[in-house]
Amino acid sequence: MQTQTDLENKVKAIFKKVLDIQESEIVPGAKLDESLGIDSTEMVEIAVVIKKELGVTLKDNELKKTHSFNEIIDILKTKG
Amino acid sequence: MEKIAITGLGVISPSGIDKRQFWANVKAGRSVVEKIERFDASLYSSRVAGHVKELEAYSSVSSRLLKKIDLFSHMALVASEMGLQDANINLSEEDLKRVGIFMGNALGGWLYAETELRDMYMEGREGVSPFMASAWFPAAPQGQISIHYGIKGYSKTIVADRASSLMAIAYAAKTINRGKCDFILAGGMEAPVTPYALLCCVTSGVLTKNNDNPHNAYRPFDKNRDGLAIAEGAGVLTLEPQSRVAKRKAHVYANIIGYGTTTDATNRIEPAQDAHQLARAIKIALDDAKLAPSDIDYICADGAGTVIGDITETKAIKEAFGAVAKKIPVSAPKSIFGNMLGACGALDVITTVLAMEHSMVPPTINYQTPDPECDLDYCPNKAQEKNIKNAMIINRGRGGINCVLILQKN
Repeated sequence: MQTQTDLENKVKAIFKKVLDIQESEIVPGAKLDESLGIDSTEMVEIAVVIKKELGVTLKDNELKKTHSFNEIIDILKTKG
Repeated sequence: MEKIAITGLGVISPSGIDKRQFWANVKAGRSVVEKIERFDASLYSSRVAGHVKELEAYSSVSSRLLKKIDLFSHMALVASEMGLQDANINLSEEDLKRVGIFMGNALGGWLYAETELRDMYMEGREGVSPFMASAWFPAAPQGQISIHYGIKGYSKTIVADRASSLMAIAYAAKTINRGKCDFILAGGMEAPVTPYALLCCVTSGVLTKNNDNPHNAYRPFDKNRDGLAIAEGAGVLTLEPQSRVAKRKAHVYANIIGYGTTTDATNRIEPAQDAHQLARAIKIALDDAKLAPSDIDYICADGAGTVIGDITETKAIKEAFGAVAKKIPVSAPKSIFGNMLGACGALDVITTVLAMEHSMVPPTINYQTPDPECDLDYCPNKAQEKNIKNAMIINRGRGGINCVLILQKN
């Protein structure tokens, strides 16, 4: 079974790859648009990679740039 | 029209990035048209092009942004930065709501679009990058420049085939004349060295098939010419009104003083045989500049290098200039690095401005065999020293677009 840390590490790696940032730049509790300057197309790209790598489909209202990294993890957890 | 000053130059070209390198190579007439090796072009009838090299060395664009933009936007961003630096303009001191961006482009960002279209057909709808939405279209570079600098003024992207950027520069000058902007970044960018873009250019029938001799392939006005060689690149100028130039004591390379445009209304690819509409555009531009034909010291030609393109351009110059036509040097320096399509006008303006600054007419290269139907002084193969006070630039596009701009040395 996947632990929370496993999931967080996988999603962090996806963020790192898509946004070309350092892992240390991710502030878990901060809004993504404010902390990482994420725009809507980058959010879609993240959703595409999450689906490809984790097999989880996120709906538009589940992956907002105003969400924090922690909120994304919480949503992913509810989807198993 | 009231004269508008050119105060900064940014150039990204196969002949070099930055104006010094560019001028040194253009003056020397060194061809940089090469075999296309970026992809397998072996089945295309035209396989030569001018390629931009070492763009990364001049770029401060982040790798995160590079993922989201096409090469044509990248080149436009680097050229804009160079233009602003050259003009010594500090944007933090400007009212960004009064700054404009006028760009010309013919094809859009196909390097990006083709990859994504391939993914769409291979992997389905979900295989396409969401960045595609904002990467491919002709106005994407304008958007990226505005976002990068926070520029919020009256701006436009002009799509008019090979006349796109000359038209963009002319409309930028007219927009400043109307008092709508304090200054404008004007120019164009094109990245046509991609499989689909090349195919479109090939099927339009205007490209050279002289693949065995890339350096000699593009031969405007030569009797054995067989079309143009495409090239990638970008050129961006800063344009300012006289009042502003005087206030900030800016260096002025030259002024834009006249513009004329007409359409042939005859054929979707080829220019009109009689060339009357191009001649009329030349006359309109001369009237706009309040100059007589004998006042023009140099003509930077469209030089499409097609049989009909060069004959009709010659015919139009003779019709508009009459007896003085044969006394004016007419050259196509784009024969050196290739034809940048929607960006070629920006490069022609930059080349002409540098020609004025160095008092030297840049050559038409690969000119070996005179064509009796092209009988002007094309400044063959070697630059000629000459003081240039007034110069004319001619650009034409498919669909019968004729565009003429006149510059005057400050």
